[in-house]
Amino acid sequence: MKISLNQLKTYVEINVPAEEMCEKMVMAGFEVESIEKQGENLKNVVAAKIVDIKPHEDSDHLQICQMDIGADELVQIVTGAQNIAVGDLVPAALNDSYLPNGMHIVAGKLRGVPSNGMLCSGEELCLTEADYEGASVHGILILRDEFPAGTDMRDVLGLDDYIIDFKITANRPDCNCVLGVAKEISVVLGTEFKAPATEYKTIGGDIKDFIDIEVKNYELCPRYMGRLVKNLRIGPSPDWMQKAITASGMRPINNIVDITNFVMLETGQPMHAFNYDELEGKKIIVRNAAENESITTIDGTEHALNTDMLVIADGEKPSCLAGIMGGKESEIEDDTTTLFLECAKFKRDNIRHTGRALGMRTESSGRFERGVDIKNVEYAMERALGLIYELDAGDIVDGVIDRNQGLPEDRIIVTTPAKILELIGVDVPTNTILSILNSLGLGATFDGKEITCRIPSIRDDIEGRADLAEEVMRIYGYDHIVGTAMRGDVIRGKKLPERIKNDKIKRTLSGLGAFEATTYSFISSKAIDTLNLDENDERRNQVSIINPLGEEYSVMRTQLITSMLTVLSTNINRKNEDGRFYEISKRFVAKSFPLTEQPDELPTMSIGIFGKDEDFFTLKGIIEEIMHIFGAHTRYERSNETYLHPGRQARVLANNKDVAVFGEVHPAVAQKYDIDTRVYVAEIKLDVLYTIEKRKTTYKPLPKFPAVERDFAMLCDIDVPVGNLEQAIISGASRLLEKVELFDVYTGSQIPEGKKSVAFSVWLRSADSTLSDTQIDEISEKIVAKLEKAGATLRK
Amino acid sequence: MKQQLEAIKLAAVEAINTASDEKAIEEIRVKYLGKKGELTAILKQMGSLSPEERPVMGQLVNEAKQSVEELIAEKKAELSAAATLQKLKDETIDITMPAKTAKVGKIHPLNSVLDDMIDIFQSMGFDVVDGPEVETDYYNFECLNVPADHPARDMQDTFYLGENLLLRTQTSAAQIRTMETRKPPIRVICPGRVYRADEVDATHSPVFHQIEGLVVDKGITMCDLKGVLEQFAHEIYGKDTKVKFRPSFFPFTEPSVEVDVSCSECGGKGCRVCKGSGWIEILGAGMVHPSVLKCCGIDPEEYSGFAFGIGLDRLTTTRYKISDIRLLFENDKRFLEQF
Repeated sequence: MKISLNQLKTYVEINVPAEEMCEKMVMAGFEVESIEKQGENLKNVVAAKIVDIKPHEDSDHLQICQMDIGADELVQIVTGAQNIAVGDLVPAALNDSYLPNGMHIVAGKLRGVPSNGMLCSGEELCLTEADYEGASVHGILILRDEFPAGTDMRDVLGLDDYIIDFKITANRPDCNCVLGVAKEISVVLGTEFKAPATEYKTIGGDIKDFIDIEVKNYELCPRYMGRLVKNLRIGPSPDWMQKAITASGMRPINNIVDITNFVMLETGQPMHAFNYDELEGKKIIVRNAAENESITTIDGTEHALNTDMLVIADGEKPSCLAGIMGGKESEIEDDTTTLFLECAKFKRDNIRHTGRALGMRTESSGRFERGVDIKNVEYAMERALGLIYELDAGDIVDGVIDRNQGLPEDRIIVTTPAKILELIGVDVPTNTILSILNSLGLGATFDGKEITCRIPSIRDDIEGRADLAEEVMRIYGYDHIVGTAMRGDVIRGKKLPERIKNDKIKRTLSGLGAFEATTYSFISSKAIDTLNLDENDERRNQVSIINPLGEEYSVMRTQLITSMLTVLSTNINRKNEDGRFYEISKRFVAKSFPLTEQPDELPTMSIGIFGKDEDFFTLKGIIEEIMHIFGAHTRYERSNETYLHPGRQARVLANNKDVAVFGEVHPAVAQKYDIDTRVYVAEIKLDVLYTIEKRKTTYKPLPKFPAVERDFAMLCDIDVPVGNLEQAIISGASRLLEKVELFDVYTGSQIPEGKKSVAFSVWLRSADSTLSDTQIDEISEKIVAKLEKAGATLRK
Repeated sequence: MKQQLEAIKLAAVEAINTASDEKAIEEIRVKYLGKKGELTAILKQMGSLSPEERPVMGQLVNEAKQSVEELIAEKKAELSAAATLQKLKDETIDITMPAKTAKVGKIHPLNSVLDDMIDIFQSMGFDVVDGPEVETDYYNFECLNVPADHPARDMQDTFYLGENLLLRTQTSAAQIRTMETRKPPIRVICPGRVYRADEVDATHSPVFHQIEGLVVDKGITMCDLKGVLEQFAHEIYGKDTKVKFRPSFFPFTEPSVEVDVSCSECGGKGCRVCKGSGWIEILGAGMVHPSVLKCCGIDPEEYSGFAFGIGLDRLTTTRYKISDIRLLFENDKRFLEQF
């Protein structure tokens, strides 16, 4: 909330510089967003009187002026403007001056004639007609003859104020106004606060003869108060009021409307002014809108209403959208003669819902949404009447109509100094506690044992001792809090097993040269289509965000592949030559639709690799290392994911559980991501992998006897999986097998059509002797037998 | 013969001394000590000597042989050392030539900062727990003392998935789940992903990360909160870092504070990083609101606690001086390589 320092000073003594006051307010819980010193960017510009004007000899439009700037000597300034005459008082930017538009003026020569500054237009001073009459005129701004020559322009324009923007926290709606902030300042600075007077005289009569007020829904309108003012004298409001309204970012309209806005800014209580003569049936009815009702508000917009919305109606129709905006028809205009003045409390969520539904947020609705004090309604009304009287804006009719169902009593909180301080851990003298609470208006008394506080309705936020503790500390000062070590044994905290397992995966992946990626959990609803999944694939059942930022971020992902493809695409299109990436995140899988309970959040990992040295098998190598962490017994089977190359993809079974799919991305899919090179991706279900219990590692003695290497080259049908042959060797060699390695697969010349040549190196070793030739021959025969069973014959 | 022996010996010594490489030494050895060598030849002439002279001369020859052998061995060692030295010298490389690196990957900067934080809080006895990202209104708002019509809901623009389901706006939701399942004393941190409807720009992201801390026990005070945060700040920003509490408002804590640390860039004197104030705001904290404790079945008269929420993304961008938060989610390898 933006507040003028000058206005604050009318209610509270401020005995320190503005900056210091702001710093103290910050430490009391009122963040200051900005301090703007008016006229800060207007320097060395004075009101100067034109003493003499001569034409410039070398120019058809320049004029040479002698200026009286209140000094002993005249100053010569050359200007191109024509709207000036001797005797005019004008703004003169002197040598080394600054203008609000950022211009720096220095002395110089214009066509050979020295000019020691510049005469300014209203535009150059960033002034509008509202700031100074005549400011919009083309040419030099002619000032009213109110100030002697030499007066600083900041004084001429009355720019001596600070505009301070306080950020008011949601728990302090009472400080959404100048008086609320002024009260806090008085507590913080320990100076006196005085509320503005509310004196006025009435002209007799009785409001009841003019109007009747009926509240049909007290839940949505707990208090409604009305007054009547006759013989309106509509005109502009005084300068001081306009300045205060402008400082807070509002626009002056006329004295009556300005008074309601001024009182709202001052007291935090919104008000509304009705043109009494437009109220049908001389009635005010506070009710829910009827079906098919509508209203045109003063901004000229017509709104269709529904029955949840509260309106202030006359005998016929809605006349005001309660708490949000008045109706066009009953707006105060220049010729309005009688005013019905409303001051009320409306329920905050109803105002919020109506405002949201109609897309409206006003200074008034914002305050009702955050909450106004039911008792403050009366004070605000009195203050407004006081101003109407003071400004002689009309004649106040006697009588008030105040509809409510009882006003709340002060709430009583009983506690002890110890209970208050228990949460803080700082010793504050009881007297200090009491004086702080009392300075904040919390009516604290102490009976030697207990503190009793009377909490007024305006401090609705204070519920118990924790709140009192905060009130005491923010005034006493948080710098009194000294860090302490907590009591109790400190043992190192534990991580969840899943986090420990992820840490291991990440360490391994780092070692394998892979970079961890982080992508958003919500993706475009159309992203899933890029994978060419079957129509009934369950990954299409994505949880949608009801109010997404845009289509791009509209569904929770059921897979991590599309995000990984985007990562690969980014890197490829930025000409990175290669890369290995992975992400550990979650898939969101709904238990049912429509969504009624939280979806499953399944920990999942994606991997993506590309580059000239990468292929299906380098990715397989990465997968194997991960499976190794979990000690999983791994098998690979052909899979059929639509987004992968049909001949280059596999499903990974770890201890017979389906844990991963990986392979080369289908070129048609890659193309959708602007990827024109081969890329490989994997998706691993960590939730399944976590369930695999790793066997305990036990040490195996290092071999004492030498190993023997034998090569086996064989021919087999081209479609026999190499894995089958490897299995044959493993089972043939049985427990003497140390290692088996594929070293060649070949088709082509010298190999019969439909066949391939496959060659393995096999290492055999016994733990308790050197293998004899006979033993080796025996094992080799067994291996060959198994290989033959698997469909391979040894090449001679 | 004796003179002949002396002459041979002298010649041998001379030859050894002037030998310049191991090959020359070997030639000398063959020339004097080999089967057909000169000293060997002298021994063969012994037959012509008288039986009295033989042992004397024999001894002399053997002595000469031995001393030549020793000299050869010495010279050989000397030359071999010189040769090794020369070889090493010849093998001198240009150490400024590029390294042959094994490609090592990196943990994402957000997680590398998180890992540091986890380590710090684990050492202070905090367990690391998790919570769901899709939350119910109850856990994200209601039990955190933000009832349906509370204006504080406006502080956080929430993504909704269903009438009662939303993407958590704060890891504080995990507070409630922790207090429901654990009995005091409680000391946990809950790192995780949170969501708010902020348009993407250089400093805002609808997806970001928080670390929620929660302590509940008997007699926990704001001084304890400051103690923990001081230790945290000292480890993250250096041991001279100061911690300042500023009063603030969060519905789920009372009293609530914003926590500033002295700017590590300028040491608190004021610079561009801290916008001249000497302080940097790093987190929000406070004493757990009695209503929150009550909601979780913990008696606020018996127990008290504190909670804090640290923005991981801000911490990461300030630590590495990353000017645009979007870089964290782009995953360009040239960016990821740097951490």
